[in-house]
Amino acid sequence: MIKVKNLYHSYNNDENYAVNDVNFEIEKGEIFGFLGPSGAGKSTTQNILVGLLQLQKGEVEVAGYDVKHIKDKMFNKIGMSFEQSNVYSKMSGIENLEFYRKLFDVKTRDPKELIKLVGLDGKENIKAGNYSKGMKHRLTFARSMINNPELWFLDEPTTGLDPSIAANIKDIIKQENEKGATVFLTTHNMYIADELCNRVAFIVDGKIRLIDSPKALKLKYGEKLVEMEYFKDGELIKDHFSTVIESEKARIIEVIKNYDIQTMHTKEATLEEIFIKVTGRGLV
Amino acid sequence: MKLWYSFSKELILSSKSWYFYIELGMALVLLVILLFIVPEDFDSKGKEYLYLDLPQVVQERYMKNLLEEDMNGFADQVELGADNQTYKAMLYETKESKIYLLESKQALDAISNSERVPVVHMRVNENKQIVYTYYLQGYETRKLQNLLLVYHNRLAGHDVIEDYSDNIEVRRLYEDSEPLNDKENMIPVFLTFNGSLMSLFIIAAYIFLDKNEGIIKAYAITASSVWHYLLSKIGVIIVTSIMTSLIITLPIMGNQPNYPAMILFLVTSGFFAASLGLLLTSYFKDIVEAFGAMYIVIVIMIMPNISYFTPSWDPDWVKIIPSYVMLQSFKDIISVGGNMTYVMVASLAFSMLGLAIFILANYRFKKTLSL
Repeated sequence: MIKVKNLYHSYNNDENYAVNDVNFEIEKGEIFGFLGPSGAGKSTTQNILVGLLQLQKGEVEVAGYDVKHIKDKMFNKIGMSFEQSNVYSKMSGIENLEFYRKLFDVKTRDPKELIKLVGLDGKENIKAGNYSKGMKHRLTFARSMINNPELWFLDEPTTGLDPSIAANIKDIIKQENEKGATVFLTTHNMYIADELCNRVAFIVDGKIRLIDSPKALKLKYGEKLVEMEYFKDGELIKDHFSTVIESEKARIIEVIKNYDIQTMHTKEATLEEIFIKVTGRGLV
Repeated sequence: MKLWYSFSKELILSSKSWYFYIELGMALVLLVILLFIVPEDFDSKGKEYLYLDLPQVVQERYMKNLLEEDMNGFADQVELGADNQTYKAMLYETKESKIYLLESKQALDAISNSERVPVVHMRVNENKQIVYTYYLQGYETRKLQNLLLVYHNRLAGHDVIEDYSDNIEVRRLYEDSEPLNDKENMIPVFLTFNGSLMSLFIIAAYIFLDKNEGIIKAYAITASSVWHYLLSKIGVIIVTSIMTSLIITLPIMGNQPNYPAMILFLVTSGFFAASLGLLLTSYFKDIVEAFGAMYIVIVIMIMPNISYFTPSWDPDWVKIIPSYVMLQSFKDIISVGGNMTYVMVASLAFSMLGLAIFILANYRFKKTLSL
């Protein structure tokens, strides 16, 4: 669905690349996470893929179209939910969707159905300018689905949303993916990436450091640990032990036998920990 | 079809915005100014204040000569206020000027002080010659001072000067069109600036508002072209400009103007101005950044106004400023027997220039969508 080969981009047209020799491919039906800290080159790459930034160097194919010569028809297959909500504030939620559906040449979804899907039913006739930040974000998200996109670009889709709404958004992404939509997810939230993505790419300073599935990454880079809290001489101790190293396994048994255990969890490495391990950088 | 959807949406949106009502409101304000404040003819006659300190016979002869030139054939007795005093004077009104004959040197001095105008004291010297004493104010040009010296110096050949001035040929530049009165003459200025050129600034305001809301990016990720978006904005601005122009023109001019030509010219000149505004906005992130460039454009566009009201100042470089062509075209459109060929050629030129700038602006917008 997406093929990117030797992609470079410089905002000042010099050797200082914001995106530096990026290569990846995304298969149809995949949820692909593009992960990295702010300024890593995630948005630049995504903007090139959807034509918001002009392709300077490299080869990019999106939904069967060469991005060097973008055709309007390409956007019939594409949907994009922006990180910053960008809806007409003087139009109501339903008017926003009604307007955008007219700009596509393919069968579009019923705006009322989308409004309901993102939990804005009952508020569809309020001007979008009077929506809360979260409501605007959901309207932007709903708009990105109006043309039943085959390829769906999601830029930080759950940022700023409360947990229950974020969970709803995640469910919608899963459902749409099950229906066949390919998802390109840009985020710095490793938990949502871990939960949703078939594969993730770590990008730092414009370069992709690795691409793999979250499961494979955990197997490769994660340590198998047990985290325990127990009372020892009246003091609460927090400790973790490897479930692979023999001496540590023996210590687990010793602690269980001799002390009052408060909590005990097996602990896998998170994607965030793996990201830090691989890139040497945090995600902020 | 998508262009129509975009246009109708923009029309609805603009009807919900302040800019739309500010434009209509301004047109009404300008109409009120034209209807109730601007007279049909400005009092452009020069005023001359004279004190004839002359023997009775000479005085009567001078006054008789004045009466022959007076438009009514008789002099009006008027009172003039100066330095908190009232002075009696006789007013003779000719085609070119209003001549006040004052009754005393004191009145002449008072008028000179309060009105800050040149005054003339005429007297007879010991050689029985008439002496003209001009009390100038200091702002008169050297040319005027020299002219007065030459005019009163008989050795310079008064007869030659008189003969020369009597034989000056006066030609009307627009032989075929009826001249406009002063009120009507203001309309091309309002149409140019409120109609055509405001498009340049209003479109910038609309675009920066959309840039701020990220609307252009959202539009770019649809199967509709960016030029649809840009053209629909221009369309709305042209509609508003036609509305405001008709608000100003209809009540003042009635059915005198060539309205089809006016609408055609508003469309083409508005398209040109709005395209220029689009191109300008494509280089800046917000209206604050764009202000410097816009200010320069405003100043350049205002310059032909000086030429419009001061026909003697009409250098060639002013004629290539678009607002000059707009002023002249609107003048022809509202005049009886105006030069429609000029208007049509100007319309064609604005269409072509506008199209070229629009293509460039569209290219620039596509390139800078993520800004």
